[in-house]
Amino acid sequence: MTLKLLLHRIGPAFYIPLIFIAGPVAAHAQEAVDFFRGNCTSCHTIGGGRLTGPDLKDVTQRKDRAWLVQFLQSPQAMIDKGDPYALKLKDEARDVVMPNINGMSPALAELLLTMIEAESKLPKSQFAGLQISDRPFTQQDIELGKAIFMGDKRLANGGPPCVTCHTFNGAGGFGGGRLGPDLSRAFERLQGRKAMGAWLYAPATPTMSLTFSKKALKAEEILPLLALFENTARSGAEDDRTGLAGFFATGFVVAVLCLTLFAFIWKARFRAVRDPLVELSARKVLGGRS
Amino acid sequence: MDVRAQMSMVFHLDKCIGCHTCSIACKNIWTDRKGTEYMWWNNVETKPGTGYPTAWEDQEKYHGGWVVEDGNLHLRSTSKTQTVFNIFHNPHQPSMDDYYEPWTYDYQHLFNAPEGPDQPTAVPISMVTGDLIQIKAGPNWDDDMGGSPVYAENDPNLAQLNPEQRAQMFAVQRLMFFYLPRICNHCLNPACVASCPSGALHKRGEDGIVLVDQKRCRGWRACIAACPYKKMYYNWQTGKSEKCILCYPRLETGQAPACFHSCVGRIRYLGVVLYDADRIREVAGLPQDELIEAQRSLILNPNDPAVIAAARQNGVHDSVVESAQKSPTYRFVKDWKIALPLHAEYRTLPMLFYVPPMAPVMAQKTGTTVDNISEDLFHDIDDARAPIEYMASMFGAGNAGKVRYALRKQKAVRWYRRAVTVGDVDMATAERMLREADCSPAEAEAIYKLTSLCTFDDRFVIPPMHREQAVEMLEDPLAHKQGVGFGFMESPRRGL
Repeated sequence: MTLKLLLHRIGPAFYIPLIFIAGPVAAHAQEAVDFFRGNCTSCHTIGGGRLTGPDLKDVTQRKDRAWLVQFLQSPQAMIDKGDPYALKLKDEARDVVMPNINGMSPALAELLLTMIEAESKLPKSQFAGLQISDRPFTQQDIELGKAIFMGDKRLANGGPPCVTCHTFNGAGGFGGGRLGPDLSRAFERLQGRKAMGAWLYAPATPTMSLTFSKKALKAEEILPLLALFENTARSGAEDDRTGLAGFFATGFVVAVLCLTLFAFIWKARFRAVRDPLVELSARKVLGGRS
Repeated sequence: MDVRAQMSMVFHLDKCIGCHTCSIACKNIWTDRKGTEYMWWNNVETKPGTGYPTAWEDQEKYHGGWVVEDGNLHLRSTSKTQTVFNIFHNPHQPSMDDYYEPWTYDYQHLFNAPEGPDQPTAVPISMVTGDLIQIKAGPNWDDDMGGSPVYAENDPNLAQLNPEQRAQMFAVQRLMFFYLPRICNHCLNPACVASCPSGALHKRGEDGIVLVDQKRCRGWRACIAACPYKKMYYNWQTGKSEKCILCYPRLETGQAPACFHSCVGRIRYLGVVLYDADRIREVAGLPQDELIEAQRSLILNPNDPAVIAAARQNGVHDSVVESAQKSPTYRFVKDWKIALPLHAEYRTLPMLFYVPPMAPVMAQKTGTTVDNISEDLFHDIDDARAPIEYMASMFGAGNAGKVRYALRKQKAVRWYRRAVTVGDVDMATAERMLREADCSPAEAEAIYKLTSLCTFDDRFVIPPMHREQAVEMLEDPLAHKQGVGFGFMESPRRGL
């Protein structure tokens, strides 16, 4: 027992240094993969074709590493500086500028690039992108998409339904939430089925990524949603906000009804004693005269 | 037997002239502060009338006092559960209009007014807002039956009368009124104390005075709704409730309360009585027609050795028992039974008793003149201008017998004294009346003396308050012994 205890005590002294030697390589590779999945996949693929941003397969061969590391620190700064390649990228992305990524550092950029390099060599990268079927959307897809959006059909991974924060033209009733943007024309903004599908798979905005990084949408949920958004984008109109007016109008009517009900329930409440007496007697006197 | 002492009062209504001196004495001492302008801890009402606040006796409106439900006593205004729901708004409170908006006059205007064709006037200003106001009512707005179609005719006590009696009461030849001075009753079963969610209201152990602890009061106002006599007041400046304190600082120094001291008609009597606190719950829950008699039975005979022993055992000082033996209240309430509690049916067991007033001589209207109905000055009580039911509604808890007994005894005493001093009534008739009124000549003489010839010391028998004993319950009197002294401004250069 003493020996066992001793080993238990001094054991770490042997294997902790091992972690420091072998650990960093494996751990850092995993970190880059996780980071890429969480932050990049909404706009980029590796060998999956262009989404909002370019396909990153062999990016390290297209441009030198130093430039890439610098670009990753602040894409906007590069554009502002007038870098020709950066401006070209902006053009290709139809003026969508890559945002500054939270937590990006030169060391992390290096790691990411190494990882991208490694993935580029594989016949099929794990970041080839979400393969969304190309089949035409059916009316059924649109209906299902609406059910998912409105929360009538729960999200499989437990994410909150879209309607809590978003609305779209044709949401009906009081419309959807007003915290997030109106999604009627999101299909257009995010450049179609493939790009938007990737975006939905790993949303990149701070609020969305916080909510959905642990409760990602599934591919079979994304397709109906895309069908819905494609359909709403076709009309080109945004939510007309009649729902909002309806909401306030209904609130007002319900408030008035509640107050009327209270006034009725507590009709016999104690109000005054002297005033009614005076009024009563005045009425008697006046009644006698007229 | 849990014997305790209680400061108890008697107001002899037959002697009250309605001068409001008591109210003013009280106001000048206690309620001329900001926030208390509208309060009248002592007020004098004209009856029939609605009083102050308006129609305070109408518990259908104000929900004061206790009711018996399923054999248990309940507050009408609140309960433990109800307190939670009403914690931020206690309904059934008199509004400022039901009290009155206190006002003063812009006297400065009399000096500052620009020269004009007429004398300047002092216009009324609200003491709450400071704005000019149109005075709508005051605390004695119905004094001497002023505005009787509004006030006197809506007296809640008239509910006891049939329409014919009501009409008669306001017929010119029968018209009568009397005054009802009111202070806090310092009840044995106080509804205000029971209702207080903060435990700020308490009944002082040594003399039964009901007080509000101004530090503990949180201004929930439950007491204001609960007190059926509406003698709890909310100070809008301090946000706390206040009430009559029976001038305890004066009592503790051997003086009568200000309203008692200043009473012009000498209608007020004050003395300590001993009572059995064990039976309060039982008595307060009795059927209404037994209440008066049962409340009387709560008051114990201070000459009974058993009572004295129990009092001593309970920490009541011998000097307090001695004082109780001389108490005028005891004589009026227990010996003579002519003083009755006001609205005993509220079940708070009020310890202020009233000697009901004799109504004036009956009159009749012949043509355009109103004359006395007979030469007989001492008319029949049941034929009085005010129906006995009206008096019973106030002083008998609806039990006319108790009021009739008190009035007959007073009438017999008058006849007896008339026979003794004037001689226009023969003694045989007077003595027969005494017998019928359950009164002996000696008792009649005693009633006469304490009613008509009473001195200051006869009326106010104030026991030594023994604050030195009472304070020992809260503080150690020796706490600072050896702790303070004159000492030296500069320490001396010798000694240790």
